[in-house]
Amino acid sequence: MARELKRWLAAALAAWGVIVIGYVPPRGVAPVATARPRPPQPTAARLRAQALAEAWRDADLALRLARYRRQLEPELARRREADQAGPAVVVEAPDSLAAYAGEVVRSALDTVWRELGLGVSKVGVGVVVDLWRTRPAGTGQTPKVVAGSASHLLPDSTDRTTCVALIPAWYRTATLRTSSGPGRRQQVEDWLQAGLGPCAFLAAWGVPGSDVRRWLARRSYDLAAFPSWDRDWSMQSQSQWMSVRFATDAKAAPTWWWPAVYGHPIAAIGCLAGRAASCRTAVLSDSVPRVLPGDRGWWVRNERLVLGNRYLGDVAREVGHDRFLRFWNSPEPVDTALATALKMPVGEWTERWERRFAPRLPLGAAAPVSAAVLGILLAAVAVVLVARGAGRRQVR
Amino acid sequence: MSRTRWLLPFLACTRALYGQDQSDLPRLKARADSLAREWRRANAVANAIDSLERTRALAGRDTIRVGALTIVTNPSPLPLREAAGRAWPVIDSVYGDDARQLAHRPYAIVAVDPDTTVERPPRHSGIEVPWDQGVASLTQLLLSSVPVAPADTALQSWLGGPLRPLADPDAQWARVYIELVTAPSHASRRCLIGDIGGCRDALDLAEHGDALLRWYPSPPERQAVVLKSSAYFDRGAQLATLQTCAHGSDSACTRLLRSLPPGGLPRPLTYDARATLIHVALQRGGRAAYHRLVTSAGLSIADRLALTGPVTVDSLLSLWRARILAARPAPGALPPLGIWIALGWAALFAACGLWSSRWRGN
Repeated sequence: MARELKRWLAAALAAWGVIVIGYVPPRGVAPVATARPRPPQPTAARLRAQALAEAWRDADLALRLARYRRQLEPELARRREADQAGPAVVVEAPDSLAAYAGEVVRSALDTVWRELGLGVSKVGVGVVVDLWRTRPAGTGQTPKVVAGSASHLLPDSTDRTTCVALIPAWYRTATLRTSSGPGRRQQVEDWLQAGLGPCAFLAAWGVPGSDVRRWLARRSYDLAAFPSWDRDWSMQSQSQWMSVRFATDAKAAPTWWWPAVYGHPIAAIGCLAGRAASCRTAVLSDSVPRVLPGDRGWWVRNERLVLGNRYLGDVAREVGHDRFLRFWNSPEPVDTALATALKMPVGEWTERWERRFAPRLPLGAAAPVSAAVLGILLAAVAVVLVARGAGRRQVR
Repeated sequence: MSRTRWLLPFLACTRALYGQDQSDLPRLKARADSLAREWRRANAVANAIDSLERTRALAGRDTIRVGALTIVTNPSPLPLREAAGRAWPVIDSVYGDDARQLAHRPYAIVAVDPDTTVERPPRHSGIEVPWDQGVASLTQLLLSSVPVAPADTALQSWLGGPLRPLADPDAQWARVYIELVTAPSHASRRCLIGDIGGCRDALDLAEHGDALLRWYPSPPERQAVVLKSSAYFDRGAQLATLQTCAHGSDSACTRLLRSLPPGGLPRPLTYDARATLIHVALQRGGRAAYHRLVTSAGLSIADRLALTGPVTVDSLLSLWRARILAARPAPGALPPLGIWIALGWAALFAACGLWSSRWRGN
């Protein structure tokens, strides 16, 4: 073996030894451990009690909504008789706040109603704003009820003309108490508008046709959760709050938040990445997902399309009242009816719509151009050098 | 993800409910009542099983006693006795006579193999600890999970968590000093320069007046607080207001802070500051101090601290402030050897550079 080669081998072995000594811990020495106890797991009996508590909360919500519908019926009938626009309102609040909050909520709802262009509607809307933090219940008699997001009782076979929105708003009491300024009033109007949810769609276009109704119901009305047709919300593009992309600081540029991105279904991720076929799947799919991911956070749990809560509102604003009404009542399958209303394939329109809120999500290998060029150049140099060396070698 | 604690959803979760009408009310009520009954039974069974699991976790195990501190554990190399020996004096100094309850409220510690490839059996009670923990780490664990009966809700919500001994007192006192110096709050700066009223405000002991104006009276402070909480405000309708605030509009910042739910306004100082204040009161108040503190629920926090002391709150705050100032962290000192090591490296690199043929003429 040539002496130079031996030297190189020795140097390589020495470097290897240094790395081994530096990185591999000696035997018998425990790594520095920190006390991080694993929390106890609930017993099967505790899990059953929790499941029953959840079932009771659903049943209790159904009961409350049915009671509110009964309570609101006379007012809704009176409005129908008198051709009076606007929702019937109930404000559940402590005595100290009830009168003032009722006034603010009614006034704000009238404004929202007007801005959404909702006149006297076929489907009457009842709004219940609940300002209690917890509902009075016998201690230990029922599971705790925590204030969540808005719930809706949609028209059914026995009452085709009433939609009830129950909006828990304990955490909005501070906003309500000081709602005199123009900015504060806007805040109240915005959360009431969000709370109207699908009831606003029903008030504007009536009960949808059977195909659309089935499609929306299977998706829990996620695409019609926010009546956004009154203004171009997407104009705020970069500043739009999204579950997947936001600025960690008010002055910083928004960046992708990857845990939230991958908390979404594959179709929603593909749509963010600009794939029209994925967008189509994300909008039209109404199947129950086969894999239910663990709890990755409440903000992504129900999102099957990023910012999908305002999807149909934006469709309505873009295509206009009449075309949207035709889609809403269409007897055709949903994909055909929606494509007809949009005058383009659903996936393509949705991909463009998603771009209004977020740039294209970079998926797959994403080597920077400069690094790729440098790598190719280095490879070319290596090839040239080897070729030249081989060319000079002569066999005698 | 505490940073996301205040990020409330803008997404309305719709629960479409079908097939109900007025005549359904009795049926819905019966269903809810039936589920509530079933839940009560299941909850009672679950409570009984949890209790049995706790008993089972304590049965047939080693018992370690140091003072009243009692640990029930399985045989393992964990240095629990040494850790208990270190933890007990600290616990005793905090809870005083009330620490005796620990004789009947043992720690249940389950020592497990630290090898993560070994499957651990399901565990329904007790604290699971890998058996390769050191004494210091175990001592901290014992201090941070003392099984005393929890204090009342008012005290815990003022404090920001359960009252525990200071697990790392020197570091905690030093952290409070840094907080006091750097918090974007006029109240904490007033406290730093010796205004006891400022300390009262900064520690949320004043009961009257507008908290926002007491804690953050100037526009830059309000802006700093909003920008620190920008993840919460950075959504929906509040976004435009946040941007106006970021550009210097005080009315926008104030509006955002006033829209926070009751008790949601970030306090100038953290848990550590309030915990250290309580510890001053407990140290001063003797062995019955903790008992006085927990049995005075219903009074204001300031009155309870005064009762615990037992001195006036202002005296306590003066003592606390003096200890905070004494805990000022020492500036980072460079060891003398470090200077020579740095110079040696610089000389080595310079020699290598000059020795290189690139720098030689010719």
